Amino acid sequence: MRSRVVVTLLAVLLTLPLVSPARAQNALVVSIWGGNWKDTVDKVIGKAFTAKTGIPVEYEVGGTIDRLAKARVAKGNPLVDLNFTTTHVARLYISDGLYEKLDLAKVPNSKEIAKEAFRSDFHIGSWAYVYTIAYRPDLVKEPITKWSDLWKPSLKGKIAMPDFDPSHIITIAALMEGGNEINWQKGEAKLRQLKDSVAAFFSTDAQSQDLMKTGQGPVQVMLSANAYHLLEQGIQVKIVQPADYPGIVGIDTMAVMAGSKKADAAHQFINVALSKEIQAELVKTLRVGPVSLGAAVPANLKGQPGIFSTAAEWRDRGYIMNDEARAKNLPAWREWFTANIVKK
Amino acid sequence: MRLLLLPAVVVLAVFAAALASLFRWSLLEFIPGSLQTGGLTLANFRGVLAPQYLDAIRDTIVLSALTTALTLVCAYPVAYALARTPSRPVRSLILVLTLAPFFTGAIVRTYAWVLVLGNTVVTWPVPMLFTERGVLVGLVHFSMPTMILILAAALSHIDPVYERAAASLGASPWRVFRRVTLPLSMPGIVSGGLIVFAWTLSAFPTPELLGGGKVKMIANVVKDLGLDSFNWPGAAAFAMLALALTLALLTVVGRVTAGRAT
Repeated sequence: MRSRVVVTLLAVLLTLPLVSPARAQNALVVSIWGGNWKDTVDKVIGKAFTAKTGIPVEYEVGGTIDRLAKARVAKGNPLVDLNFTTTHVARLYISDGLYEKLDLAKVPNSKEIAKEAFRSDFHIGSWAYVYTIAYRPDLVKEPITKWSDLWKPSLKGKIAMPDFDPSHIITIAALMEGGNEINWQKGEAKLRQLKDSVAAFFSTDAQSQDLMKTGQGPVQVMLSANAYHLLEQGIQVKIVQPADYPGIVGIDTMAVMAGSKKADAAHQFINVALSKEIQAELVKTLRVGPVSLGAAVPANLKGQPGIFSTAAEWRDRGYIMNDEARAKNLPAWREWFTANIVKK
Repeated sequence: MRLLLLPAVVVLAVFAAALASLFRWSLLEFIPGSLQTGGLTLANFRGVLAPQYLDAIRDTIVLSALTTALTLVCAYPVAYALARTPSRPVRSLILVLTLAPFFTGAIVRTYAWVLVLGNTVVTWPVPMLFTERGVLVGLVHFSMPTMILILAAALSHIDPVYERAAASLGASPWRVFRRVTLPLSMPGIVSGGLIVFAWTLSAFPTPELLGGGKVKMIANVVKDLGLDSFNWPGAAAFAMLALALTLALLTVVGRVTAGRAT
């Protein structure tokens, strides 16, 4: 008898990790990156949504691809109702039929947002940022004011850039040579000239910030929100508004999962997220650009890289890549980048 | 009795199913910009035979071999002291220092090396951070505790009487070590060497952080293909290729060293 109890207990203990965590039955489940992203979305959007609707919000956190893989496995019977991801990765969700078409009649606040934030019939922008040049003036004596400055011999061995997604620098090199992300090959030779200037490549935001803090990569092609975060920590970083070509815009997006039983609530969540008040709060907390054109922007951030508050700024101060071209070309870009720039 | 085998069979079945799924993915056509896959193809295997991927395999094998050799050289004296010191406080101190890195975790240890190797604490005569040299230092440090413990266990099983007998017959300390201690500790050297070699083949955080994206080992390439390029079939093909190579290599190393261990 005792052994049976022990075996049963063991079986229960062994199967515990296989059981999904219990969720409140009426909760809206939101999938998002962990850390500051989840905390801020919960604090700023989630709380306001619950206060307005009475529906609690729970979160499924993870990396971009972990969450994509999970969504694919749960296709048709999604574990989450609403998803946050970057606009080009959203294309992969769409290609696999994982998103539901948005009903903008249920999102009245979408009338107030920049037209660039409408990424497709399935996904809509939540905030924006740019990949631009950021550098430590204490370690780089000559001021950097434009993308072409990266090619200066004095910056040899000082530059760090992302290798998980080289689309920004590939597009900039192509733009400099009269091309763009579609005919990116035009910038190949130009980009090869940059090879010896690169000190390191980074795969995560944390690595990027560490390289800047330690001075191992004092000049970076950097996510603007990360640079603002370093400034808050007291690291003297100069964030460049390049004079020759604009920074490359990144837009994080929201979408309703296909098959969600709480699609209406998910639309309401998106509507709350796009309200001017919530957008203004996101700008203050995440140091990102609002997609809502009327959202208030603090004076110290107004006009700064990645913070677009008017239709004109959206149009003129950032380069928005074609999502589909980016999603399709990324594997080829990475392969070329690894073979020609990363490889010793 | 057969029922007792059931857990092992279940575990094996799970591993076999995972491997079969990986193999199936490696044969599916990759469609850029889509999660959908096409029909069956061998193109993924042709793709991962590109020079940059083969370079990663070569670098992995070279770094694994160097890590094993250097770890052995650095760990042996520490293991010897641990096994032979008559002083309990000294033995405890060595044991604590050996085990201390286990309590910090691989990521914390590797970040510490980023600071040490990056000219912020020490000024190095040659670049260390984001080079193979730096990765090698990190891998050796990571492998040391395990190697020390395995070698110390092997050395503690050698009866000191043999060494005393050799010395009493006129052998110098170096000759005693070379002709008696070293051969008798060979089982520990082989076990430790195989374990360090095998796990260095699959190293990920050390080359990821200390290599600065410039030093790629097999696991880093799998991550690059699968998670950064969204090329799951390509990642599966590279993983299969690396797995086959690793198994072949370990078989060869195991056979070469098996004779010496006995």
